[in-house]
Amino acid sequence: MTDVKISSRAYTKIILHAAKYPYAAVNGLLLAAKDKSKNQFIVDAIPLFHQCLNVTPMAEIALVQVEAMAADEGLLIAGYYAAAENFNDSSIEKIPGARIPEKIAEHFSNAVCVMVDNKAMSLNMERPAIKAWQNADSRWVKTNFSVDSCDSTLEAVSALLQKGAMKDINDFDNYLDNVENDWLNEHLNRDLKQLLAMY
Amino acid sequence: MAYNYEQMSWSEVRDLFRKWREDNERRSDDIVLLWKRILEDNASKLGNERHLVLEQVIIAAFDCARLDISEKCIRELSQEFPGSLRVQKYKAMKYEAMGRYDEANDVLDDIISKDETNAAPRKRKIAIFKAKGKTCEAIKELCEYLKKFMSDQEAWHELCSLYLSENEYSKAAFCMEEVLLHNPHSHLIHQRLAEIRYTMGGLENIEIAKSYYSQALKLNSCNLRALYGLYLCCNHIINSKASVNKRKEAQKLASYVLSEIQSKSCVGNEKAKNDKYIGSLENAFGNLDLKSN
Repeated sequence: MTDVKISSRAYTKIILHAAKYPYAAVNGLLLAAKDKSKNQFIVDAIPLFHQCLNVTPMAEIALVQVEAMAADEGLLIAGYYAAAENFNDSSIEKIPGARIPEKIAEHFSNAVCVMVDNKAMSLNMERPAIKAWQNADSRWVKTNFSVDSCDSTLEAVSALLQKGAMKDINDFDNYLDNVENDWLNEHLNRDLKQLLAMY
Repeated sequence: MAYNYEQMSWSEVRDLFRKWREDNERRSDDIVLLWKRILEDNASKLGNERHLVLEQVIIAAFDCARLDISEKCIRELSQEFPGSLRVQKYKAMKYEAMGRYDEANDVLDDIISKDETNAAPRKRKIAIFKAKGKTCEAIKELCEYLKKFMSDQEAWHELCSLYLSENEYSKAAFCMEEVLLHNPHSHLIHQRLAEIRYTMGGLENIEIAKSYYSQALKLNSCNLRALYGLYLCCNHIINSKASVNKRKEAQKLASYVLSEIQSKSCVGNEKAKNDKYIGSLENAFGNLDLKSN
C-alpha cells in the first residue's frame, strides 16, 4: 500500500461541497489517472449528491456519466468521498452511501475512500479536514495521505470559504434540478491563485 | 441567486425573510447577516410579524453557532410572553445547540407535562436522539410519536429518511406512502417512492417504480430525475424475463424517454457536453435489441 496524494483541485472541491450543505450529508467521486504508476494521485473530485444518499437510481446515472467523462480525460473512478450529516461522525463505519465505495473497489483494487473530518472544518484550516482509507483485501484500511502543496492549498481554500465560494459549486443534484448547472465545475479547474483573484 | 445586501431596504429584507419562511429554505447564514446588517434596527417597524421573524432568526443563529444573537432574541420574546411554552422550547434548543442534551431534555419534559398535546417538544426530543447518533432510538421514539400524531407529514417524512439511513427500504416506502396520501399531487413524493422501490430491486418493485416515475412525469413533465429513473426502469424490464409484449413496450418507452432527456438538456452552454454524457447511458444500458425468450 502506498501513500495517497490528493491534488489541491480535488481537495478544494470536496471542502467547498461539504461547506455548501453544512446541514446535509454529501458525497462524490474521486478521479485518478488511468496510468498504473500514477493512479495513487487523486487528480479531481466530482461532487454528486446532497439530498438523499441512500437510494440508487440517480447514483447509477451519475456513475455512468462520470465514467464516460473520466474516460475522455484519460482518468478513471478511483475513489469516493463523503461527509456525514452528524457533526461527530467521521469514521469509515458511518460513511453515508457505503455501497458505492464497495462497488468502486470491485473495479479498482486500490480504491480510496475519503471522509470529511467535520471537526477540522473551519475558516482557517491548519490541517487537511479529511481522513483517508484505502481498500486492501476488501477491507478499508486507514492510510496516510498528503494534499498537494499543502500549506498554500489550505490557505487558499480557507480564503475561498471566507469569501463564500461554496455557493458556486454545483453537484449532480444541482444538475438534475437545472441542466444549466455544470457538475464538472469547470470554474474551479483553474489554479488556486486565479481562483482567489475571481472572488 | 445573488443579493446585493448593502443596498437592500428593510422592507425588501422583510419580504425575503417571509419568502424563506414560507418555502422552508434553510438560508441560515444569509438570515443572520441580513438581520444584523439591516433588520435588527428596524424590528419595531415589523408589527406583528416581528415575533415570527425573531423565531426565524433564533433558529438561524443556532445553525450558525451565533448563540449571542439567539440569546438576545429569546430574551426579547420571553419579556413579551412570560411563561410561554413556545418560548420555553427555544430555551431547550439553546441547550441543544450547546450540546447540553440532558438539560434540554429536562426543559422539554417540563413543557410536555404542562401541555400534553404539544407536538413540538416531543419532536425536539427525537431530534436529540438523532444528534447523539442514536438512530434506532430515534426511530423507536418517532414511531411512538406517530401513534399519537398520525397526521404529521413532516414526521412521516423524517421517519422515512431515518429508515433509509438504516437501509430499511420497505419500511421507508410505507412512510413515504403515508406522505403521499397527504399530497397526492406532489411529483417529488412520487419520484422519491419510485427511487425507494427501484433501490429495493426485483422485477416487481421495478414495475412499481416505473408506475410512480410515470405518475411523477404526468404531474411534472420537466422532472429530470423521473425521466432518468424511468429510463433505468425500462432498461431493467427489457433485460428481464418479463413477457415479450412488456419488453417491447418498455423498449419503446425507453427510446422515447431518452429523446425527452436529450431535448430537455438542449439549453444553455452545457448542451454539447450534456449530450455526450447522456449518449454514454445508451452504451452502458442500451442493450436495446430484444432478446427472444
